[in-house]
Amino acid sequence: MSGNGAEQVIAVENLKHTYDGKHFALDGVTFGVSKGEVFGLLGKNGAGKTTLIKALTTLIVPSSGKLSVLGMDPLHQGQDIRRRIGVVQQGESFDFATVEGNFNIYGVLWGVPRKVRMQRREELLKSFGLLEVRKQRAFDLSGGQKRRVQVAREMMHDMDILFLDEPTTGLDVIMRRQLLDSVRERARRGLTVVFTTHNLEEADYVCDRVAVVDEGRFLAMDTVENLKRLYRGKKTVEVTLAGGDASAFYDSLRTKLAGSEVKADGNSAVILTDDPKEALQRIIELSQTTGIQMDWLNIRKNTLEDVFIGSVTKTEEE
Amino acid sequence: MRLELPGIVKLMYRNVMVNVDPGTLIILIGLPAMYLVFFGFGFGAMIPTPGGTAAYLTFLTPGIMSVQCLMAGTVGGSMLWADRRWGMLAQLLVGPFTRLQYLLGIMFTSLVFGLAGAFVMLIGAFLIIGSLQITLWGVLTAFGVIALGSIFFGSLMLLIAGVVKSNNAYNSIQILILFVVNFASTVFYSFSSGLPLPIQILFEVNPLTYVANAARGGFEGALPADAAWQLPLLLAETIVVLALATRVYVKSDVSFV
Repeated sequence: MSGNGAEQVIAVENLKHTYDGKHFALDGVTFGVSKGEVFGLLGKNGAGKTTLIKALTTLIVPSSGKLSVLGMDPLHQGQDIRRRIGVVQQGESFDFATVEGNFNIYGVLWGVPRKVRMQRREELLKSFGLLEVRKQRAFDLSGGQKRRVQVAREMMHDMDILFLDEPTTGLDVIMRRQLLDSVRERARRGLTVVFTTHNLEEADYVCDRVAVVDEGRFLAMDTVENLKRLYRGKKTVEVTLAGGDASAFYDSLRTKLAGSEVKADGNSAVILTDDPKEALQRIIELSQTTGIQMDWLNIRKNTLEDVFIGSVTKTEEE
Repeated sequence: MRLELPGIVKLMYRNVMVNVDPGTLIILIGLPAMYLVFFGFGFGAMIPTPGGTAAYLTFLTPGIMSVQCLMAGTVGGSMLWADRRWGMLAQLLVGPFTRLQYLLGIMFTSLVFGLAGAFVMLIGAFLIIGSLQITLWGVLTAFGVIALGSIFFGSLMLLIAGVVKSNNAYNSIQILILFVVNFASTVFYSFSSGLPLPIQILFEVNPLTYVANAARGGFEGALPADAAWQLPLLLAETIVVLALATRVYVKSDVSFV
């Protein structure tokens, strides 16, 4: 399922979960993750990413399906699994203590020997740029600093799988890049990482494979390169109208460009097409016949974001 | 080979480290200490007791020590509430702990706080009164029954914290319980048949009454006759409330956002 011969550390088969008995937060998800792989979950809010992480980290018991983490059954060996994983939640989670107090307490909770604990704490405080705020209470820090504390604190203990639920939220560009590089480096040393994000650029940068999640289902799953290859030859045309009836404009454009995907959002639209020249011609013609001026018109290569938008749009249209 | 602390002990260490702050200490130690001083001298001067203020302070001391189990229970409930509010509950539960260990970690921390607070009250009373006549058996009895009371009130507050979803509602319930349980008990004054019937019933069913009576009996060298049914009842109530709190908590969904 993971697509290579490496040891599989997560195996999920037809996983379903419902909170209310009616709507499925997870609706038949099947995938596997190999040791040392960085696996990305891409999806909009409420797509089912966090529910999937809850199931993988033993926080909920799925309604049905098969699930194995590190070769163990979460239902019966939850504590054994949790001893070998690390989780950075999407929301804040701090003890009412200073930054270094949070590190110390976490180290004790995870049974890290005192000497290792102290050494690791100092390394992490330094590498995450937290030395200056080490005596401040974690709750008093800025959003980005809090996020750094949360991610760094998780590195206090050893683990086989690290679950990162939108870990870069609130981080500046440099710190974000450092974190992503750190994730890659740890993966090279054998750590498996499950990474959820809204940011497609960082998924492109850090993930070996990604799954596009929507309404509890995987719409697409492959290596970033393969997903992009699906859209090879296609290009993206971006257009922004200066005013007028944008909705009618894009409806007409859809009729004229039957083989292309037109994703409109207000005055702007993204058009995924095999023939960008034709698309440009039709847009210009339509602009002339309707008298609606354009603020922006551009052709570019497709990105992971286009794969994401393409996948989600197709499902919505179906 | 390196020995590792059991999970519950690690959680207790963490609970103590996180909760030893001025705010918690004021609730835990400061408030009962003020009860001891202000009620001791105030009521001591007002209530005609043979032996005067010193005698009333001697009467009050085991009562105030008993209050510690209630105070420790509220701190336990607040720990669960704060962990849920600040995301640490979910964080700990995706760590190497079971839900039961987490719950027992809070319970035993309440127990430690209750016993430590009672010890501080005992020392405080000794310093104020100048002397206290108590046997080793009396001390063991008082601390034993306070330990049981700490588990009861710790479980009760955890049960409430597990059921109530609003912070304001939880705080209001906590204040109400503190007030009613403290003052409708034999902590500050003896039970009187002259009280209105509803208040008499409140006194009779209040677990803090059982704790205070037994602790006072320990100080006086003999348990009161009522202890023969009050202590078994307290034990039974503790088991029931602990089981309910465990059930509610183990079944509950953990916010994870």
